Order: sequence, then C-alpha cells, then structure tokens
Amino acid sequence: MNHFSSETFRENAKAALADSHLRGALKHATSLFGERRREAAAGLPNWEDLRNQARAIKDEVLLHLDQYLEEFVRNAESRGAQVHWARDGAEANAIICALARERQARIIVKSKSMTTEETHLNSTLEAVGMQVVETDLGEYIIQLAEETPSHIIAPAIHKTRGQIAELFTSELGMPPTDDLVQLTNTARTTLRDRFAAADVGISGVNFGVAETGTIVIVENEGNIRLTTSLPRMHVAVMGIEKLVPRFADLDVFLKLLPRSGTGQRLTAYQSFITGTKREATDEGPEELHIVLLDNGRSRMLAHPVTRQSLACIRCGACLNACPVYQQIGGHAYGSVYQGPIGAVITPQLIGIEKTSQLPYASSLCGACREVCPVKIDIPRLLLHLRGEITARSRRSIRERLLFKVWAKVMMSPSLYRMSAVAGRIIQRIVPISRAWTSGRDLRPIESRSFRDQFVQKGDDPKRRDGRGVPPLQNTP
Amino acid sequence: MKVSLFVTCLVDQLWTSIGMSSVQVLRRVGCEVEFDQRQTCCAQPAFNTGYLNEARQVAKRFISIFEESDAEAIVSPSGSCTAMVRHYRELFADDPQWLQRAQSVAAKTHELSAFLIHVLKVKDVGACWQGRLTWHDACHGLRDLNVRSEPRTLIRSVRGAEFVELEHADACCGFGGTFSVKYPEISVAILDQKIEAIERAGVEAVVSGDASCLMQIGGRLSRKKSKVRVMHLAELLASRATDFQG
Amino acid sequence: MSTLKRNSKAREAILGSIRSHLAASVPHDTRELALHQVDVSTVSDSDRVEFGHKAPAGTSLIDRFKRNLEAVGGHCFIAPDEAGTARALTGIISDLQKTNFRAQRIAISDLPVVEKLMYLTDLEIEELTVTPNASDIFGFDVGITTAQAAIAETGTLVLDSAHERHRLVSLVPPVHIAIVDASRIYNTLAEALALLRTGKEISPTVTFVTGPSRTADIELTLTIGVHGPQEVYVIVRGA
Repeated sequence: MNHFSSETFRENAKAALADSHLRGALKHATSLFGERRREAAAGLPNWEDLRNQARAIKDEVLLHLDQYLEEFVRNAESRGAQVHWARDGAEANAIICALARERQARIIVKSKSMTTEETHLNSTLEAVGMQVVETDLGEYIIQLAEETPSHIIAPAIHKTRGQIAELFTSELGMPPTDDLVQLTNTARTTLRDRFAAADVGISGVNFGVAETGTIVIVENEGNIRLTTSLPRMHVAVMGIEKLVPRFADLDVFLKLLPRSGTGQRLTAYQSFITGTKREATDEGPEELHIVLLDNGRSRMLAHPVTRQSLACIRCGACLNACPVYQQIGGHAYGSVYQGPIGAVITPQLIGIEKTSQLPYASSLCGACREVCPVKIDIPRLLLHLRGEITARSRRSIRERLLFKVWAKVMMSPSLYRMSAVAGRIIQRIVPISRAWTSGRDLRPIESRSFRDQFVQKGDDPKRRDGRGVPPLQNTP
Repeated sequence: MKVSLFVTCLVDQLWTSIGMSSVQVLRRVGCEVEFDQRQTCCAQPAFNTGYLNEARQVAKRFISIFEESDAEAIVSPSGSCTAMVRHYRELFADDPQWLQRAQSVAAKTHELSAFLIHVLKVKDVGACWQGRLTWHDACHGLRDLNVRSEPRTLIRSVRGAEFVELEHADACCGFGGTFSVKYPEISVAILDQKIEAIERAGVEAVVSGDASCLMQIGGRLSRKKSKVRVMHLAELLASRATDFQG
Repeated sequence: MSTLKRNSKAREAILGSIRSHLAASVPHDTRELALHQVDVSTVSDSDRVEFGHKAPAGTSLIDRFKRNLEAVGGHCFIAPDEAGTARALTGIISDLQKTNFRAQRIAISDLPVVEKLMYLTDLEIEELTVTPNASDIFGFDVGITTAQAAIAETGTLVLDSAHERHRLVSLVPPVHIAIVDASRIYNTLAEALALLRTGKEISPTVTFVTGPSRTADIELTLTIGVHGPQEVYVIVRGA
C-alpha cells in the first residue's frame, strides 16, 4: 500500500530517499526518458517553433474555452455522442456509475486515464459491485499490487521486473519466471479474457477537437483500441482543458507529445473517434458517452500565470527533468499529478490547505520549463503559489517574523552592519542550522566584510557608509 | 568604462575574495569600479519564498540606489542575483512608474562573464592557473540569463588550466535558496549526484558563477574530505600565480 | 429526465464558471501584457498543407515509408501489381506457417480485393473468415486488411472505418498484414490529417497504425506485441 498524502510530503520524501530500489529505478527511468526526449527533439529542426505554436493554440483555446467547449459538444452530439457535464469528481463518478448500471455492466475495462484517477472512479464502481480492470500494462501491474502510479506515463517504473514477476505468480498463478516476454504474454492472455467479456470500456482523452467533435487518444499497447472497440458502450472522460480548435492543430501536438513523453516520433496507435457508428452492423460500440470534467479547472482561468497550467498535455517530460522528482519519485507528492506539473496543479485542484508543502519542494532550477512542449513557466507558477500561501498566512509565525526582520535589516545599512557583527558572534556560540550542517560544512561569516575591505584598501569609494550620506531621492 | 559593482550580500559577508577578485578583474580590463556602500541585498530570498511585500520594499531600495549611479553598467558576480533584478518587473506590474524604473536598472545590470564577453568584448583577462578544472552551470545564470558559452570561453583562455566538461554540467546542485534548508535531505541527494560527476571528472577544482552553488558544492566536498576545491569564476580569472590561495 | 435536468444545470454552472473566471482574468492579462512583449502568435500560414505526394529530393515516398516502418519493427514489401501482391502475401504467410504464429486461421476485412488476393495465393490454411465478430476474432492467427492511406514520414498506416470493416481484424490477431496503394502514400502527418478533413464528415473511427504494438512499462525495456499485433507487414502495391 502506498497511498501517501501531500500533507506529509516531507516524510514521504524521506522514505523515498531511503528506498534504494526506488532510487535506482528512478535514475534509470528518468535519465533514459530524458535522453530519448533530447534526441527526439533534436530530430526536428523547428522544435522551438512547434512549442511556440502549441502554446499559442492552447492560449487561444483557454481564452475562449466556453465557446470552444460549446462548439465541441455541438459537433460531437450531432455525430451521435452523448455528452455529460461534471462539475466535480463525485458528479463524474455518479454519471459513469449510472451509465454502467443502465448497461447492467459487470465487467468494465479501462485504459490509462489520469482524470479517472483524479476522481477515484475505480473505487466508486467497485463499491457498487462492478469489476474494473485496468488494461494498460503498467496500470494493470499497480492495480494488482494495490498501489498508485509513480509516474504520469510509466506508472510502474518503481517496480522491478522481479517484483512484477512475483506479483504475477501470486495473483495470476503464473509459473515463476523473470522473462519479459513471458510476463507480457501473461498480462496479454489474462486481459484478453476481460476485453472479450467487458460490457463497458472507459478511456481518457488526449485531445478533443472543437471543429469536428472528435476525441483523440494515443497509445502504444493497443489496449485503448480494444477498450474502445469491443464493449458496447464507450465512456470517454475528458478534462475541459483538453481541447484544440481545429483538426489540423493535431499535427503540432502529435509531433510534440510522443517525442516529449517517450522520445518516439509517433506512438504505435492514434484513435480518432467522432461520434458513433453509422450503421448498427458496423464494428464498434453502440454508444459513446463523453464526460466533461471541471473539478477546479475553470478556476485556473482567472489569472494568466495559473491559466497556463491548463495547457499541459500530460507528456511527463517535466518529471524526468526535475532534480527533485529524480530523487524521490511520484508517490511522495501524495497526489495523482506528480513532479513539477503536479506541484502546481494539485494545490489548485485540491486547495492549498492540504498541499502547501508542494510549491516549496523545488529548487526553482527551471529544467521543467526548458523541456515543457507547451512552454509552461512552472517556476513562475511555483512562485505565484508561494505568494498565495504567504498571503493567506499559511506559513509559520516564526518565518513571517524572520522575513519582516530580514526586510528591516536589508533596508538599513547600519542594521545590516550590526547584523553581520551579531552573526559573527552568534555563529561561534550557537550551532547553526542543523538542516544545513547535517550534510554539509558551513562557510563562516568572514571577520571583515567586503565593503570594509574595499574601503580600507584605500580605493576611492563613492559613498563610504550609511551615515553622512544624503538621503536617497524617492525613498520608498 | 565605469561600472558599479553589485557585490551581493552573500559575497559581502561570506566570500569576500569573490568581490575582491571581481574588482581586480574589472580593473585589469580597464574599468573604473565604483562601489556604493549603501547596497545590501537584491531581495531574492523574500521573493523566492513568497514574501512579496518585503521583497518589494528591498527591491525599491536597490533600484533607488543604483539608478543614481552614473556608471554605464552594474556588474555582479552572481547569475541568480542578476536574474533577480531582471525579475523585478514582476513585483511592479501594478505600478507603472516603478515598473519603468525597474526596467531601466535591469537593462544596465549584467552578470560578470556576460559583461566581459558581450559588453567589453574581452575573452582573455590574462589569468593563469595550473591544473585540471571543470565548470558547473548555475541554474539562474544558465536558464534565466542564457549564460553558457561565456564562462567556458573565459576559462579556455586561462593559461595552464586544463578544462574538462562536467557530465550534466547543467544539472542543479540542489541549493535553491531556502529549499536547501527546508528540504535538506532532498537538497543533499541532488547534490550528491553533482558530487559524483565531479569526482568522476578527476579535477582539482570546480568553478561556478554563483557563490550559493559554491557554498552548496563546497560544503559537501569538504564534509566528504575531498581534495577538490571550489572556486568562483572571478577568483579564477583574477589568479596570476600558479598557486592560488582561495 | 432528472439526469438531463441535472446535466443542463451542470453545463450552465461550468460554462458560467469559465466565463466568470475569464472575466476576472482581464485586468491581470492587461498587466501581463505590460510586463512582456507578449507574442500573440497564431498558427502560421506557412504550415498550410499542400496536397500531394512530394518527398524530400532524392527519396521516393515509398522508400521513405519503408525506411520509417522498418525503423519501428514493421516489415515492408513492394509489389508492382496484383500478381506481385499475391506472391508477396504467399511468401509472408507461408513463412509465418513455419513459426509459432501458425498462420492457419486467417481473418480478412470485408473488401473484395482482400478475398480475391487470398484466392490468388492458393495457400493451404485451416480457415478463412471475413470479419469475424467480437466473440470469434480472438481465435485467429492473422488479420489481413487494406489501408486507406499511409504516411511516409512516420511509416504509418491510415485505417478509415467508413471505407472498410477492419477495426478488429487489424487489431486482435497477433499478425496484421496490410495492403496499401503506392498512390495513397502521403509525405506528412499534416497531409494525412487534411485528407481526413476534406469533403463530407470525418469517419466515425480513424486509426493511425505505426508498426507493431509495444510497451516499455516493465523496467523501461521495450517489449513488442502487448495487446495489439506483434508483427505488422505492409505490402505496397502498384509501385
């Protein structure tokens, strides 16, 4: 069991750092993904142009999201899709539950969908007696293990081949083996039964096209095609921000997403689904239900800095580039969305009360911003959230006082001088910050500051010290 | 050319030789260096922790001091502090007058290596230092200011220095300001990856453009009793003797 | 009835929330513009797609398609005509019959051309069925279909369900053999997307297939053939 909470982020992180298996897996995964992404991006000479275009398209959609949503729904419904609106996760789950009940569904197959994890859909369906089977291999593995995903696109990277083999042996009766082909075949065979028997298939959506009412889903394994072809009902859950205006816009995103996520030019399959089949005798589901989920997304539209969070295409590149994620993995964040994008989306979706640690768990290095295909300025977002947190008094009294004192000191050269003098004395008698010194030596405050040396060397100082100097014009 | 030195509070109190070296280097290439004693801090700690009112107060002070200078440029031996000045405008989005003043000061503020290469057009400052060294790209200098080739060009003209490119030179050292003490375990875990790369590079010194990174890296190297030293770019460029006393 | 009511309530609430939050953003957007020279770029016209079969100088579209398909583990055969296609098909299936893939139970799509090709091969097989239904399809070894188009820059097949009943035949059996006309190979993804948009409405289901099914979910090691076919053969016909 590894259902962590973001309220205990610090403890989660410590536990992750102590797990050498996990750290090895993370190192391997993030460096491999990172390398592949780099190569794939280098293969397109107009990579920067594509990023700019993608961001511009997303900005356009988000600035007119209501209109594009209405256009999408109109077009999807005219082609036979049934569209449902869900204000929050509970409403989405209730809608899907009701649909499954109508079908008297017993077995439901699912393909990987972060949005359904966000709403905790599976447990809701299971609570009313339905069997929900995750069909994406990584998701299937963690479902068997009763864990949560540790990475947006490779949910089981925290598990070794050996752990997976043991899991398959104990849960599926597979003869003990370490062979990858055998492991994959076991999953394939077991899941094919489920596909054949399923009444309902539930998927996510990578992109919704307003112009045509099309939903686009990308994958490598084929489980999405099976999930959306075999059962008689297909339910597609889509965050309201997943739109692009025109069909032609897909070109830009289909170039950026696979390269950023897995370093591939294209994933093995892209499904473009527009409404329901034309003839009853055609292949495919009889019903298509699209569930549009808000769950806090519309709130993010209220400021340009937060609105960019909605441009995310869930590629996972920021996770692989993040020095913090590379060390602690996804579970430590205690939420569905992890890594840099998780640190900014989760507080906005859930509220900062329970997630106030997340925006501080970053060195602000900017590697995420560099790799984001839609150029989300995550460091700026983190700072914005930190500002919100301090404005809403979510920081300790001690810290608030500290910065008030700090400001006073920095505003006055004489106070500044005095604090340096005090610091030199204090550092000799009080052990400074264990947080620093437990792992690193601390450089002592020098006995003479630079400004004193500079003056003393007889160089020509423009202004000697705070005293005797005319007051600043336009003093703040 | 007359420059006004923005020495940074960290250098002023904890690493004065970076300040002295910066002055020496600037003078060596023909600059007149002015130092305004009223300066304190660029406000980065408050800005990065979300204390925007406090940051704004201190930023206004910085702007007021430096806009009075008749120097043609404000030069700093810190990428992160220079980047902070460039970010001042975000503090004054609601105040057109201060926004304008912030933009003017920011336009004149340069990180040391960028100043040498792009403003003074100098690649060789006559330095010499014997030994094998490598360079760590400090995050703000690299990603906010695009400083990447400039330090490498300057280092390559240091006589006697054998420059080795560090694996993942652009990976964060884990400092991140208050992050280093809010999440020390993560900070050190990130740091150790940098240390491992430094050890693999087999160098005598690691050079960087930010005192904060040097404190972080140097603090761990000395805790591990490593023979590898840390050095600021200014200190490297100031050295003339073969045996540099940091 | 109440579901419909509840849903129109939800619809209005969500659209209302979007509108009010966008309105609240306006003063911030103005400030943001003051901070930066915001590039309000739109998708550039230079990306407007031209129809056609242009390939980079010196490479034919077919070569490019073949190279990219093979790069992801697919197999590509080139045949000048129907007889050549039948011969290629014979070769592929008889080779497969010597392996664990068996290739004895063959599922084909409903296009007459595929059935005709199978008769031309005159192979010994256990069973040939046109578009088996969902409960039967799992027992077949090979699925043969055509593809409505192909994309050279990625080695991709375009399967349009409105033109052919090949959704399950191309997906379920462990081997997929596809026949595509050389004249239907387009250079870029953008061209293929434009093709799908021309004329009447988009088909209910279009699938892009690029090589065999794959995963790297276990220790990031690539495994071929998870849920979809493990082998993909493409015969380019009429080259």
